[in-house]
Amino acid sequence: MSEGDMAIMKPEVMKSYIWLQTADGSIQQVEEEVAMFCPMICREVIQSSMGSSKNYAISLPQRVNTAILSLILDYCRFHQVQGRSNKERKSFDEKFIRMDTKKLCELTSAADSLQLKPLVDLTSRALARMIEGKTPEEIRETFHLPDDLTEEEKLEPLRNTADDPRIRLLNRLYARKRKELKEKEKLKIVEIEEEQVDQRSVDDLLSFINGGDGDSKQVRAPKHKKKNKKKKDQSKDHCCNNANKNCKEGTLSSTCQNGDKCKVVPSASQTPKQEDSADDTISPKVEFDDDIDDELDPAMKEKLDREVEDFARRLNSDWPERMQEILSLGQEGRAVPISMNGNGSLRRYTKMAYSSGLD
Amino acid sequence: MACAFPEEVLEHVFSFVQSEKDRNAVSLVCKSWYSIERCCRRRIFVGNCYAVSPQIVIRRFPEVRSVSLKGKPHFADFNLVPEGWGAYVQPWIAAMADAYPALEELRLKRMVVTDENLEMVSRAFRNFKVLVLSSCEGFTTDGLAAIAGNCRNLRELDLRECEVDDHRGHWLNNFPDNFTSLVSLNLACLDGEINFPALERLVGRCHNLKTLRLNHAVPLEKLPNLLSRAPQLVDLGTGAFTADVRPELYSKLATAFAGCKGLKSLSGFWEVASVYLPAVYPVCAGLTSMNFSYASIQSPDLNKILGQCPNLKRLWVLDYIEDSGLETVAATCKDLQELRVFPSDPYDAEQNVLLTEQGLISVSEGCPKLQSVLYFCRRMSNAALSVVARNRPNLTRFRLCIIEPRTPDYLTLDPFDEGFGAIVEHCKDLQRLSLSGLLSDHVFEYIGRHAKRLEMLSVAFAGNSDLGLHHVLSGCKSLRKLEIRDCPFGDKALLANAMKLETMRSLWMSSCSVSLGACKLLGHKMPWLNVEVIDERGPPDSTSDDCHVEKLYAYRTVAGPRLDMPDFVRTMEKDSCLILGD
Repeated sequence: MSEGDMAIMKPEVMKSYIWLQTADGSIQQVEEEVAMFCPMICREVIQSSMGSSKNYAISLPQRVNTAILSLILDYCRFHQVQGRSNKERKSFDEKFIRMDTKKLCELTSAADSLQLKPLVDLTSRALARMIEGKTPEEIRETFHLPDDLTEEEKLEPLRNTADDPRIRLLNRLYARKRKELKEKEKLKIVEIEEEQVDQRSVDDLLSFINGGDGDSKQVRAPKHKKKNKKKKDQSKDHCCNNANKNCKEGTLSSTCQNGDKCKVVPSASQTPKQEDSADDTISPKVEFDDDIDDELDPAMKEKLDREVEDFARRLNSDWPERMQEILSLGQEGRAVPISMNGNGSLRRYTKMAYSSGLD
Repeated sequence: MACAFPEEVLEHVFSFVQSEKDRNAVSLVCKSWYSIERCCRRRIFVGNCYAVSPQIVIRRFPEVRSVSLKGKPHFADFNLVPEGWGAYVQPWIAAMADAYPALEELRLKRMVVTDENLEMVSRAFRNFKVLVLSSCEGFTTDGLAAIAGNCRNLRELDLRECEVDDHRGHWLNNFPDNFTSLVSLNLACLDGEINFPALERLVGRCHNLKTLRLNHAVPLEKLPNLLSRAPQLVDLGTGAFTADVRPELYSKLATAFAGCKGLKSLSGFWEVASVYLPAVYPVCAGLTSMNFSYASIQSPDLNKILGQCPNLKRLWVLDYIEDSGLETVAATCKDLQELRVFPSDPYDAEQNVLLTEQGLISVSEGCPKLQSVLYFCRRMSNAALSVVARNRPNLTRFRLCIIEPRTPDYLTLDPFDEGFGAIVEHCKDLQRLSLSGLLSDHVFEYIGRHAKRLEMLSVAFAGNSDLGLHHVLSGCKSLRKLEIRDCPFGDKALLANAMKLETMRSLWMSSCSVSLGACKLLGHKMPWLNVEVIDERGPPDSTSDDCHVEKLYAYRTVAGPRLDMPDFVRTMEKDSCLILGD
């Protein structure tokens, strides 16, 4: 033993220390019982006889820097004491993990490298709680993660259709068509404002329907369908013959019996209101060029016009009235979708659907 | 993250993130999280078996241990989906037999399952543990025999409301003598007799059995023996609860029940002789769930039992409970979360049962934790609905079934627009709603305006025009499932809101005014939607585009049109430009 070592040993205390070295080179000594709480250190001491002196300090894994080591040792120092109650330990743990995200990540990582399972579990659970309930965007922010998923990999639901560029295009087309008609036939068309006013579009539609369609359609007589089921005596199994379809049979419990089930493919949304959407299936993200221009090539425009008129004919209505209604509904973000393969964006969208991951 | 975060550590963190929404979010965060998450995903849920193909699922999630699939739409429960429509589990089982040898759990709802499928399950998955079949059909007890015989580690066999061809064989004998792992056995839907000695031996050697639900063929005499072999039961479904009056049977029964100190859930009671009911009194105090929906127990007896169940969280019962019984519930069951009141005789116009809106009001007043309601009745008023809405803003599921269609408010003869309007306005977390009674387009206006968390809506014999449908599709942001029958909704609202359909799981419309032409257009233009027209009336090519379709079922999918349709189902073709891309 060197002189330095001897100087440290205080015979009257007779306490054992383990020497540890962190990745940045700094060496420290730690009470034996505290350090031995870490399985990795324990193994180094027992199997490799390391840590008994400064020269033989145990090299800790890369992920354990000095600051983190200090935290870990605090943890070990508390928990290695035998007599503590569960309540005390839990209380300590709860206070212990209160730290910023970055440190919590480092701590988790470090605890894992030292194989300190109780601390790994504690920190992992804390991180899991920070993930729960958040959108992908929020999670990225919390953990400073890159937004690097490609469209093929990112399986997002369709966004709120008011944002949908197809709808915007459609609205523009219809606006142009409307202008043409107005000039041609000088019909009165209700002003559609940019602002969403639900009440107004509903009234428009209502007046259209009341004026255009006449009386509301006759309600059909209820269907009488009754399959012979085995348990005929069990009234509950039968659909009420003439009656409400909600005659529900017995013991079917609610759709998700236990919260552990996961839906097949994730397609969590950017906005909370979409959180449920597309969660049973894969819906690719709708991608359009930002510089979409108003002017379409003439062939495309003609095709669109024909399709729109075709649709109108099929519904047996006057063209201007149909237009008015679709326009007023269109502001809410819903409109008849039409194929648009002229400008390449929709082609890309469909191509994506059939490329990696989905074919 | 600044520091290196090894994959195993991230996986470990993800192991504490279990809900499907959170897993979905995790997988969309970034490349590395996506690829880590997909490899450690253990449970998947497919709400519509045609929304995605087994191949896609398997490729994406290689380590799945638990699969849940749903097939037919909900209205299949009311016989609106014709026989042979689809929902075959066959392709899934075939694919998983190859790809998921370690599969442990399979939960299927409204799917067609054959004996061959069950046989394959029993052989392909060495560590198979849980089989839950809800409202499934197509198999016999021979298939169950295969499961019993081959699944050495089976823990749960749960048949709920299935149509099983009961060969009355001795399939229960197929459980090997050294098989002891069963935790849950639900045979309530089986029709035939069960081999009692086999059942008794099985129950006797499975010491971990917690759930046992018998079918109506198990006579009351057999119950005490079974219970004495399984005093650890938590969930019991009795067989028939009737026998001649025999004091020694009664005392045996009472002793047996008293021995089941951990019983929390009681059901069954197919046919009841009320003289035997007091035998269950000893367990009432501990019960959290009671299902009397098959029991013709009259009000006084019901009152006596329910008055002893202060810890009930869930109660399913027939309308024999009457308003007085529900008052007892309101006074006693302060923890009640879910109430379902079924009609004892829905076809009988002359009703002697005194169940009115008052019962619902009492419960809404007396049970502060009430969240989920299914209520069949013959009369209702807007005033009552308003009171319920104000009393219980915490409702998440509200299904009201006024038995006769288009019944108005019995006090004012108005439609129920205001009443349901109050429900959606006050109950901000409402996820599921079923409407009934006389309803105009106004109710849909309220729903569209207020029901922002609504995920599932069921509508029948309601509304005046397309406006109603338009309100719902444009307003209900969280809508996933919409099912409609016999309403005057046509093409306009549907086509105008076509985009909405791709954000939902499915739309069902039957006996409405949707034209074939509109269905064609919808299917043609929406790349991610399968638009199925179900029409049993005749060969499809003979109908003109103006004709109204019998049934429309539109659902979003990435698997393209399905190939297993019968001839009365047509999937509308896609625009070739959409399909071919470049």
